[in-house]
Amino acid sequence: MFDFLLSEDAKRRKLLAIAPEGPVKVFLSSPLIDRNQDVHAVSLLSLDFETSGLDPGKDHIVSAGYVDISRGEILLSTAMHDLVRPNKLLTENSVVIHKITDDDASAGKSLEQVISSLLQALAGKVMVAHNANIELAFLTQACRQLYGISPRFPVIDTMRIAKKWLERRNKEIEQGDLRLFNLRKRYGLPMYQAHNALTDAIATAELLQAQIAHMDSRKILPLKQFLK
Amino acid sequence: MEVELQEIRDFVALVPPFDLLPESELNLLVRKLGIRYIRRGKSLSEGGENTSSVFIIRQGSVSLYSEEDKLFGMLAEGDLSTAYCDEGGDEALDARATEDTLVYCISCDVLFDIVKKHPDAAAFLKDAPDRRLSDAVKSSQQKASQTATLMNTPLSDLISEELIDIDHESSIHDAAVKMTEHGVSSLLIMDSGNLSGILTDRDMRSRCLAIGLSADLPVNEIMTPDPVCVDSESLAFDALMMMTQKNIHHLPVIDGEKAIGIITATDLIRQEGKNSVHITRSIHRAESVESLTEISKLIPDLQLQIISTGGSAEHVGRAVTAVSSAITRRLIELAEKKYGPSPVPYAWIAAGSQARREQSSHSDQDNGLIISNEMKTEDEPWFSYLADFVCDGLDACGFVYCPGDAMAKNPQWRQTEKVWTRYYLGWINTPEPKSLMLSSIFFDIRVIAGNKKLLSNILQKVSTETKNNQLFLAHMTANALQHRTPLGFFRDFVLIDEGDHKNTLDLKHKGLVPIIDMARIYALAEGLEAVSTTERLEKAAGSPSLSKDGSANLLDAYELISRLRVEHQARQIRKGESADNFLSPKKLSRLERAHLKDAFKVVQTMQESLSQRYHAGHF
Repeated sequence: MFDFLLSEDAKRRKLLAIAPEGPVKVFLSSPLIDRNQDVHAVSLLSLDFETSGLDPGKDHIVSAGYVDISRGEILLSTAMHDLVRPNKLLTENSVVIHKITDDDASAGKSLEQVISSLLQALAGKVMVAHNANIELAFLTQACRQLYGISPRFPVIDTMRIAKKWLERRNKEIEQGDLRLFNLRKRYGLPMYQAHNALTDAIATAELLQAQIAHMDSRKILPLKQFLK
Repeated sequence: MEVELQEIRDFVALVPPFDLLPESELNLLVRKLGIRYIRRGKSLSEGGENTSSVFIIRQGSVSLYSEEDKLFGMLAEGDLSTAYCDEGGDEALDARATEDTLVYCISCDVLFDIVKKHPDAAAFLKDAPDRRLSDAVKSSQQKASQTATLMNTPLSDLISEELIDIDHESSIHDAAVKMTEHGVSSLLIMDSGNLSGILTDRDMRSRCLAIGLSADLPVNEIMTPDPVCVDSESLAFDALMMMTQKNIHHLPVIDGEKAIGIITATDLIRQEGKNSVHITRSIHRAESVESLTEISKLIPDLQLQIISTGGSAEHVGRAVTAVSSAITRRLIELAEKKYGPSPVPYAWIAAGSQARREQSSHSDQDNGLIISNEMKTEDEPWFSYLADFVCDGLDACGFVYCPGDAMAKNPQWRQTEKVWTRYYLGWINTPEPKSLMLSSIFFDIRVIAGNKKLLSNILQKVSTETKNNQLFLAHMTANALQHRTPLGFFRDFVLIDEGDHKNTLDLKHKGLVPIIDMARIYALAEGLEAVSTTERLEKAAGSPSLSKDGSANLLDAYELISRLRVEHQARQIRKGESADNFLSPKKLSRLERAHLKDAFKVVQTMQESLSQRYHAGHF
């Protein structure tokens, strides 16, 4: 594990050396997170992107919503919701799902502004997302596009936690079981009517709190157990 | 404001006292919230950014525990817990999740800032629900007693006498005769149905006798034409001000265009005179059922008067019961006059609300006769006549027949001491539904007239059987728990959803009866002789059956619900409607609604703990 930490640290230093001045460099300069510490003590940031599709090569981020979790409390004072001004017209599909029209989006910020704020907020924290592959892929792609490099992001995926939990109990996983909405129902969490990046980020943060609360509270729960 | 936080804001906006905040402030407030998930059994004080927080329950439920780890309250969705936000800081309360719970937390400092800006919120938040409840009861009593009676009594409440008037062409002599006949100091003078003037004692003196005017002249010669009038909906205080300003002592009272009576300065001053002492005195002098019936018509006014002078619901109960008991005694005296003295000793007993001294102007009658064991078969008719005379008389006086037939009129409840003892032991030893229903009537019992020893003999034997009789108490508890408070899981009132009383709350059966039932069980369990609900709760406080906190909370809840009920009835009586128990929550202020919910919550909690104590769920 120590080797792994070292190599992780080495990778970061390598990246830091070539990183351009700006947000990505600030992010990489923050202290490395101790993977053995109790998950309760870790600063987390729950993130959700709404995207125009599933392919980070072709599709783009429509909006980003995120909120901090500190010592088991979701802090709405940190809640952010940014719309990304599109370079191309929105496809009809995403309009239907996210109800974001070109008019709304044109009032948004540039991708660079949005990612820059996000990287600042994320420095020293672990990202939380539901089905984190999407967020990871789009964030990495955006960083490459904007800064030429992308940091590695430590991530907790609430969907993966749920999947492991169900598998360990030999529960058959049916279609839809792992959707945010259905998992929240399982933990008795309220239903949110709205479907947007910030609401989903808050919903994911609540789900993680419920998942952690249902684990053995007598033991220390090291962060690495949760990381992807 | 992020439109995305709107759902959270909208939820918070419904939770008192935040419902008092303008939207702009709510938007700022939402930005200061934290969200936490509390596992079942965990305390709200564990973890989180800030331990001194107020909590809004978003989903789930939370139980409140006192210092001695006694459960004293439960919170559900939309409720607020200030358990960790006490400015005094000496109350060691603990709030624990009873199921997995999602809470919104706000730092106490943020709350204190809101409170500084919004005094209404301060009043609401001063204490946790149960303590808040106690304050609400106290302040409503204070408010009522601080406000002078004349300030809040409409004239229509004061002019009960019939209108005494005379035609404007009648002679002065006839007017004088009429005034003497009715014992009044003034007359209204009418011209073809319309008020044309007023005539007082003083007018007679100064405008007729002093100047030697003939008494045969028509009254319009000496009356004061077009007198100053006052509307029946005006407050007594306004009438007094008018009299003082114009230096007059009589004011015709009008309802729209129509004259309906006269109010005099003496009426206003003597307002306090119409009390229960006065009424009971006339009852003792009544010589017939008819005159008792007349007197009993004053009972609704009595109830009104007590409430408007700041009396509590308990005062109303005691005063009305004093009157009904005086009527019962007078009826018994009248019956003994009619049918001769009783052949053997007996006791006339009151059961139910009359025994508990909790009657209101429309209570029904529950009673019975305990007759000495010496009674012979040929004595039975005398008691049957007595019972019919008294029960019929009470019915005529507005204390209507008991729908369950629990009356001395029914031979079943007109029995010897021996039979009554057998009844009681039977109910205790075979607690089936019918006997439990009867127990709830006849375990509240008091002698109204006759030989008290007959009842105390029975109760002595019964009390040793009931005290700590777990099985009987468990059955009584299960029976009592059938009356549930009308509070839904989503902190809303569950209203009656059909029939004449659609969208109302039944304050009696859903609010008072559960408390009355519990008080009876505490009294039976502890072998207490107390019969009134408040006395039972006071005496049982600190016993194994009922904690001091529990007793105080129930007493507050009882007083609050009773008060809302008598006030509701007072409103109906003022409007000339007959009084009932069905209150629409829409008639309550938001604050009153919140207090009523708190009261129901206390009842729910206490029912829960009673049910646990006797495992009532198993029956």
